[in-house]
Amino acid sequence: MNLQNSGEEKIPVGPDTVWTFVTDPEKVGRCFPEVVDVTVQDATHFEAVVKVGVGPVRGKFNMRVELLPAASKRHIDMKMSGGGFGSTVDLTAGADLVDAGDGTTLLKWSGQAEARGPIAAVGGRVLDSQAQKLIGQAFGNVRQQLTA
Amino acid sequence: MSIQAKPLHSVGVPMKRKEDPRFIQGKGHYVDDLSFPGMLYLSLVRSTYPHAEIKNIDISEAMKVPGVKAVITGKDLEAAGLGWLPTFHGFDKQMVLAIGKVLFQYQEVAAVFAETRAAAIDGAEAVQVDYAPLPVVADPFTSKTDKVLLRPDREAKTNHIFHWEVGDKEGTARAMASSPKRIKQRLWFQRCHPAPLEPCGCVAYFDAMGRLQFHVTSQAPHVYRTALSLVTGIPEDKIHVMSPDLGGGFGNKVPVYPGYVCAIVGALKIGRPVKWIETRTENLTSTGFARDYHMDVEIGATADGQVTALHVATTADHGAFDAAADPSKYPAGIFGIVTGSYTFPVAHAEVDAYFTNKAPGGIAYRCSFRVTEASYAIERGMDILADELGMDAVELRKKNFIRKDQFPYPSALGFTYDSGDYHKTLDVALEKIGYTALLKEQAEKRARGELMGIGFSTFTEVVGAGPSKHFDILGIKMFDSAEIRIHPTGSGIVRAGTKSQGQGHETTWAQIVAEELGLDPQNIMVEEGDTDTAPYGLGTYASRSTPVAGAAITMAARRIREKARKIAAHLLEVGEGDVEWTDYKFQVKGVPSKTVTMKQVAFAAYTDMAQNEPGLEATYYYDPPNMTYPNGAYVAVVDVDRDTGETKVRRFLAVDDCGIVINPMIVEGQIHGGLTEGFAMAFIQEIQYDAEGNNLNTNFTDYLVPTTLETPHWETANTVTASPHHPMGAKGVGESPNVGSPAAFVNAVIDALSPLGVRHIDMPLTRDKVWRAIRDAEAKKA
Repeated sequence: MNLQNSGEEKIPVGPDTVWTFVTDPEKVGRCFPEVVDVTVQDATHFEAVVKVGVGPVRGKFNMRVELLPAASKRHIDMKMSGGGFGSTVDLTAGADLVDAGDGTTLLKWSGQAEARGPIAAVGGRVLDSQAQKLIGQAFGNVRQQLTA
Repeated sequence: MSIQAKPLHSVGVPMKRKEDPRFIQGKGHYVDDLSFPGMLYLSLVRSTYPHAEIKNIDISEAMKVPGVKAVITGKDLEAAGLGWLPTFHGFDKQMVLAIGKVLFQYQEVAAVFAETRAAAIDGAEAVQVDYAPLPVVADPFTSKTDKVLLRPDREAKTNHIFHWEVGDKEGTARAMASSPKRIKQRLWFQRCHPAPLEPCGCVAYFDAMGRLQFHVTSQAPHVYRTALSLVTGIPEDKIHVMSPDLGGGFGNKVPVYPGYVCAIVGALKIGRPVKWIETRTENLTSTGFARDYHMDVEIGATADGQVTALHVATTADHGAFDAAADPSKYPAGIFGIVTGSYTFPVAHAEVDAYFTNKAPGGIAYRCSFRVTEASYAIERGMDILADELGMDAVELRKKNFIRKDQFPYPSALGFTYDSGDYHKTLDVALEKIGYTALLKEQAEKRARGELMGIGFSTFTEVVGAGPSKHFDILGIKMFDSAEIRIHPTGSGIVRAGTKSQGQGHETTWAQIVAEELGLDPQNIMVEEGDTDTAPYGLGTYASRSTPVAGAAITMAARRIREKARKIAAHLLEVGEGDVEWTDYKFQVKGVPSKTVTMKQVAFAAYTDMAQNEPGLEATYYYDPPNMTYPNGAYVAVVDVDRDTGETKVRRFLAVDDCGIVINPMIVEGQIHGGLTEGFAMAFIQEIQYDAEGNNLNTNFTDYLVPTTLETPHWETANTVTASPHHPMGAKGVGESPNVGSPAAFVNAVIDALSPLGVRHIDMPLTRDKVWRAIRDAEAKKA
């Protein structure tokens, strides 16, 4: 099943600080909700193990993540694919970093994901709301780490 | 001699099932109960993608999982010449493990063998498969465009599998064009799954003699043996197939599945026994599904309701491989029964089948090769015609029924219906249900705006495949067989080429032998499912056991009786011509006091046979001269809640004519089970795929099996017109309730909604679908 989402997040630090953060695989990886482990391969690739629970489908997902920072330093794309226990998720997301001018950054993001297997079948009814929750958690983590 | 307290006759007696004591005590013996020293477990890696290229399969992590012994992939099998498996229909093949690409979600990709079931599952989880997704074709109408070619491995570069047709195309078109009244409706019989409570599984090993010992959930063990020999090259005498107790089959356990082949390959490669048992999800997502027929039904009639022509054009979704296990000459099964119980002077039926990125299969679920789809099409069609004519659906049916004096009746699509009395069967149903009173009640309710419906289905089935002239699976003619041995003390054993999955053969077959030989059915043992001992047969599906193997058993018993007559003549000290079989014993003609029982003859066959051949056994291979045509009149009475769309089946009556009934209790049980499945298809069951090819009904939280709470109370009755060509006059019954009931349920719901102008809703008639139909109809009216 196909999921699409977009939104805006206000980050209380300037765009250069945000840029340094979102291009650091270790840091980005640690913002994933329910993350168990992050293994960095190189400057733009890492693997993350996350705990997943949608309805009766519960287990760990192994995700491979690729960061695709733009030369402008104001746009980054992310590709993520992986899964576990017979389910897979393919996700692509992009974000524009907009300087709000007051020392904060407006993160305009959009993403789409394709979920397959039991997670799509069983979780189908609740997956949309579950995705909203996870996105909220992820940005919450970003804010928390940047302001800590 | 002691006075016989029990009746001597066995046929027609509601004898309790001999197999039930072991089942109700939990002492059945299933494949998963087997365990052998050193046995490994197999778990399959399955595709999460419905259509994708396989870039790479990395097994290195899986091999590190403690307990994992081996991992095999499609490439390994291909190298061994075992990459592909012929489907039972015989004109396609399917990948054992994916080669190059995957074609449906949950397709088998790799096989992991390990010391424990848990280690095998962990190992399967650790296999890394890199997929490159390809465009998905999730329905036959998209498939038809050939924009995405699903099977480049095939010679014909198209997704179109076959076009099949029967009947008079031009004549039908002419008759249709000149018919004053015509209806046309697309009916979709949705994809569903038989979901036997025991999933599929096997244990394979090679014994000390190098012989393959294969325990498997199979409805057709002999066909498996031959198919395995053909695929693997192992001589057939070196293959021993054993099908133990089965926890339901419903056609799901007819095909040979990739898991079986992998288990055998693993056993050979590793040299240890291998067990493979499916999970519920694997069963629902990868093994033989049912239906998925989109049928455009067109009926022509005169203004006063005499049918003039029938045309049905079907678009069939066969999934990724053409694995619908139909007889070779019948790619669309016996769909030609679509003229049903009616005297269509001319008809034309056609089916076009397509590949899609969905699981393969198509003919399972208690259905004699597409007969369920055909019956649903004609029985819904007749109701729609009645609606168009403003005629009572019962009156329309009676007007067009084949009359009892027209049998044997040659149908417009080439069948010769053996016997029936449709008017009588429907009259019994009308009387028992109290049709006149129900119509009155319905009129009163309609006046108050309440929704009540009465739905009929007066179906005719065609079962007992089949005559060798027409029917074969992989070239093997669809006869069946029996071997009977009577022991010295008058008990015996009967072996048949069939395989019970709950049908009660251990009782029914014993009753047939007992009836023919005047013995106690309690002392006739029945054995099936072991290819080393049972005579060659095509197995149990499509309601063929009683019509074909039941006939073989009858004929084998009669052969024994003829042998016994010679010994009886010797015992009675008369010539053979002076002995007659009467009242379940041999008697000197005209001298009722001079008799011997079969028990006495049996003892003599081993102790005092004179010049006759010792022993008392016989074998019979029965090639049926025709199919049998069970039929019935079913009535459903439903109330529909106008505000919620909730449907309540208040009453359901099934009047069946399955010919001579051998065990009325077993027949009634079969009807209860089949009606419950028919109810499930009509109201709750569907295997849904989303547009991206995800299977959305992968377990029992999403694919529902009715419990006693949802299941209506079933009322049953029967009429009897014996089959003129079956030696006992029996016709078979297992599938009738599943074939006949869906249309009755839907007709009842549509009848309830007809005052609102609703003409059709596709199954399953879930609350939300019915509610939407009511809401839309009311909006249209307002």
